[in-house]
Amino acid sequence: MLDAMEQLINGLLYGALYALIGGGFSILFGVMRRFNMAYGSTIMAAAYVSLIPFTRFQAPAVVMVLAGVAMAVLVGLLVEFCCFRFIQKGHELAPLMTTIGALIVITEAIIHATDAVGLRYPSPFGEESLEVGRFLIRPDYLAVAVVGLVCFLVIFWIIHRTRLGLAMRAVAERPEAAQILGVNLRTVNTLTFVLTSALAGVIGFFAAVTVGSARPDLGVFATGKGLVVMVLGGLGSLPGAIAGGLLLGIVEFQATWFLGATFRDIVAFLILFAILVFRPSGLLGSRPH
Amino acid sequence: MDYVIAVASIIGIHALLGLSVYVVAICGQMSFGQQGFFALGAYTAGMCTALWGLGFVPALLLGTLVAALFGFVVGFPALRVRGLYLAIATFGFGEIVRLAFLNVRYTRQIGDRVVGPNGAEGFRHVRWVFDGGVTGLQYLGIILLVLAVVAGFFAWLDRSKLGAKFRAVEEDETAAAMVGINVTQVKVLGFTLGGAVAGLSGSLFIHYSTYIDHDMVALPLAIASVTYPILGGLGSFAGPLLGTVLLVSITEGLRALAELREFIYGALIIVMMIFRPRGLIDEALAQRVAGWFRLRRRTEPA
Amino acid sequence: MRLDARIIMVALLVAVLALPGWALAFQNEGTLRIGGMWALSGGAAFFGKSSLGLATLAMDEINEAGGVKVDGKAVKLTMAAQDDACNAEQGLAAVRRLASVDKVLFSLGPTCSSVAEPVFGTLQKKLGDTSDTGLQLLFFTDTATKFGLAKLSPWVFRNTPDEPGMYDFIVGYLKEKHPELKTVMVSYESDFAHSSATWKGALEPALKKHGHHQVTEVVDWRWQDTEMGAQVTKLRKASADVYFSLTHTISTCASMKEMKRQRVRPKMIVGITSLAGTEVLINCPDVAEGIISPSNFAPITPRAKQIADKAWDKYKADSNIHSVPAYENVHLVKSLIEKAAIKNTEESLLDDRRKVRDQLAAVGSFQGVLGKITMRPESDAVKPRDVDKDMLLVQIKSSKWTVFWAPPSLQQK
Repeated sequence: MLDAMEQLINGLLYGALYALIGGGFSILFGVMRRFNMAYGSTIMAAAYVSLIPFTRFQAPAVVMVLAGVAMAVLVGLLVEFCCFRFIQKGHELAPLMTTIGALIVITEAIIHATDAVGLRYPSPFGEESLEVGRFLIRPDYLAVAVVGLVCFLVIFWIIHRTRLGLAMRAVAERPEAAQILGVNLRTVNTLTFVLTSALAGVIGFFAAVTVGSARPDLGVFATGKGLVVMVLGGLGSLPGAIAGGLLLGIVEFQATWFLGATFRDIVAFLILFAILVFRPSGLLGSRPH
Repeated sequence: MDYVIAVASIIGIHALLGLSVYVVAICGQMSFGQQGFFALGAYTAGMCTALWGLGFVPALLLGTLVAALFGFVVGFPALRVRGLYLAIATFGFGEIVRLAFLNVRYTRQIGDRVVGPNGAEGFRHVRWVFDGGVTGLQYLGIILLVLAVVAGFFAWLDRSKLGAKFRAVEEDETAAAMVGINVTQVKVLGFTLGGAVAGLSGSLFIHYSTYIDHDMVALPLAIASVTYPILGGLGSFAGPLLGTVLLVSITEGLRALAELREFIYGALIIVMMIFRPRGLIDEALAQRVAGWFRLRRRTEPA
Repeated sequence: MRLDARIIMVALLVAVLALPGWALAFQNEGTLRIGGMWALSGGAAFFGKSSLGLATLAMDEINEAGGVKVDGKAVKLTMAAQDDACNAEQGLAAVRRLASVDKVLFSLGPTCSSVAEPVFGTLQKKLGDTSDTGLQLLFFTDTATKFGLAKLSPWVFRNTPDEPGMYDFIVGYLKEKHPELKTVMVSYESDFAHSSATWKGALEPALKKHGHHQVTEVVDWRWQDTEMGAQVTKLRKASADVYFSLTHTISTCASMKEMKRQRVRPKMIVGITSLAGTEVLINCPDVAEGIISPSNFAPITPRAKQIADKAWDKYKADSNIHSVPAYENVHLVKSLIEKAAIKNTEESLLDDRRKVRDQLAAVGSFQGVLGKITMRPESDAVKPRDVDKDMLLVQIKSSKWTVFWAPPSLQQK
């Protein structure tokens, strides 16, 4: 029983990482009504580049995160330029495919540079689990949860308390009306990319820390989890991403504990199907899509 | 020549997979799970010839039928979801099929071999083609014959009332319903046909490769199956065919460039989608080409 | 036509025309072509490239010494390497390219068992059987380890680790030298055939046979999993003496990190054969400290060290249990070519392959880098056309692989 509780706690904390990934996807979808299938590889690129200050200069974690954020923003802007800018409205499948193309290119670049060998990633949060009473809690999961909370607070502040956020919400709700009222769509899109990419930089650091390596399959991992979380929580809904991420974390850990790895994925999909059948707009999504 | 035959065989098999995504797409549903039906067809057909000693044609038929059945079943819950939700749900279906085959063990000792699906170790010894003395060229002929029949069916579909109903549903479901089209019927039929064609593709594949395992029907195949029709164009059945030829040729034809192939593949997708977001053979081009084949009319269509 | 449409059409044309590789003429100016299909891109690129490097090293050594004697003349070797990217469809095309476009005498590889399965499955099952339209290309595999692959065709020979034998030895060694270690816990990757086969086909039977150890816990995860908290917690509770982590580098690193976090410290940890290479030293040398792995190669003799150094310096190729066989195979086939009296012409290619194949089937024992290697005959009931060779146990110490145990013939003086 206590073991299940321990899994529950760790699952909840790990879910924060999923929530962040889903959040990144959701913000972009909310504003641009399009998916960035290359978001996962942006996260991965950030993870790899953030390793460089550490291996070269023994830089502290903060510098690593900044390096990751810088790389992620760079990749994000490239993706925005190559994959989104020139696609006219009304072509829904095209940005899906261009970003898949970008995912392939970025992943291949990393595999090429590293021969697909995972690289050791340091953890500034200690290498042993914390003993909290009868439970072993992972310190890096705790850190992710705390940082995740801070990130979400910052994002909420940006979206609800700044002009950019106002513009983003306007574009999310009624793009044409927003344009008529003077919002520069291109600027908003670009800044949205910058925001989500900066988030991707932070996620990249924590993903690599929790996994323990910078690996070439981080991109697909993040993409898979991000999409599931978005669907669970509701497309474009930030609170939904939080709820969906935490739920996925809890469910996965419990399923692995009670049923083993084989059924963990099956359970996750069954829950996904259940949501799609009974509540297609997601846990906290508003509009049916 | 052997090499060209091999590449043509893969093109033929994958073209069918691309067509299966196409038929579901033209009634407005983007399926990322056709590789699941592919797997169902492959395992079924493989068991037919390798385990139960049935002939090749019954194996193809059964593989197609089983996959079509699953397509029919999937078609109903698919009605409830749309767009990205459907894409994810269908990918989830594909993953469930894959995970199921990862765990299925159904083997029998035949002679000195252990034959049958064997979980993570895969399903080997499907040797109907090679033990039966069918040459590479002959099997390619079989693949192309099947492809021709399926393509012919889709050519007919593109021109028929049923095809028009499909595209009407893709264009605007509400309007289609208002003019009396049974949207449910159309969409479920789309999934059934998609499942059938993907199952046929898988049935042909396992006899070509003699082997299948869960790893071969995962995300990379899902991406490839969707890329063929989207790049090739959803305007006509020829779109997925063209897309398959293009993409497989890139992978094989540029072997000299080794690792750069993946880069080119990804970059090509990006570039092509920017310049032709509806694919190579989009609706406009399809209409124009169809116009060349139509008998001349005195009045121009609107 | 619009510009973009034209560009696309040209691209299509180029790609399609490039297909058959028109430019290749057969054996230009006195060369003999050998081939290999490996994973040179994608997730297994590390292993594929190492094999290519070691094979090229062997080929260069042969060429520098004058080449191969064919029909009284000295002929140089050239290498046609094809990338299968660990993908079955590409492998199926690559094998035909090697056979009929590159026209190689024999092929090394493939790297991935999932490519070897379909490729070997399409080879002829019975030699000279005209009703069998399988391919006729000789394969001398260096890496793909899955049990039973060589049985698929008489054209397949392998110089790969014998895992049932290795784990049988390890269990016996533990029973004899460390009888106080009685409990065993195991982890394996349920979606990676090599891993689950090592558990079910090699370790589990070995444990049953020796009857000394008690298996207190068996956990599994996916080979690309990132989170093993639940499984490691189960291992922590089992707290067995010996832990067999039959997992590849990615999940080994992730799970060993978790073991460290949860302070799980078995007295002995044994890994899978593929671990015995450089990947794990790059990824997680600290938490992998102490892991023992069965291997067929370690740079413990002067010659082995020389080869490993040369391979790295000249080709950036890692010498490990999977890549060194490629080196050994090229050298062996060179000597067999000279015995087989081949003609090395386009017309005689099939005959030549058959002659070399027959030589390989009858070779008996040959000299590998570390010691004697014996090719099992085709009549062998268990593993025909697979090899028996010396094994050693290597252990990670201070971020390096050191020898934990070596057979008397290899022990350093």
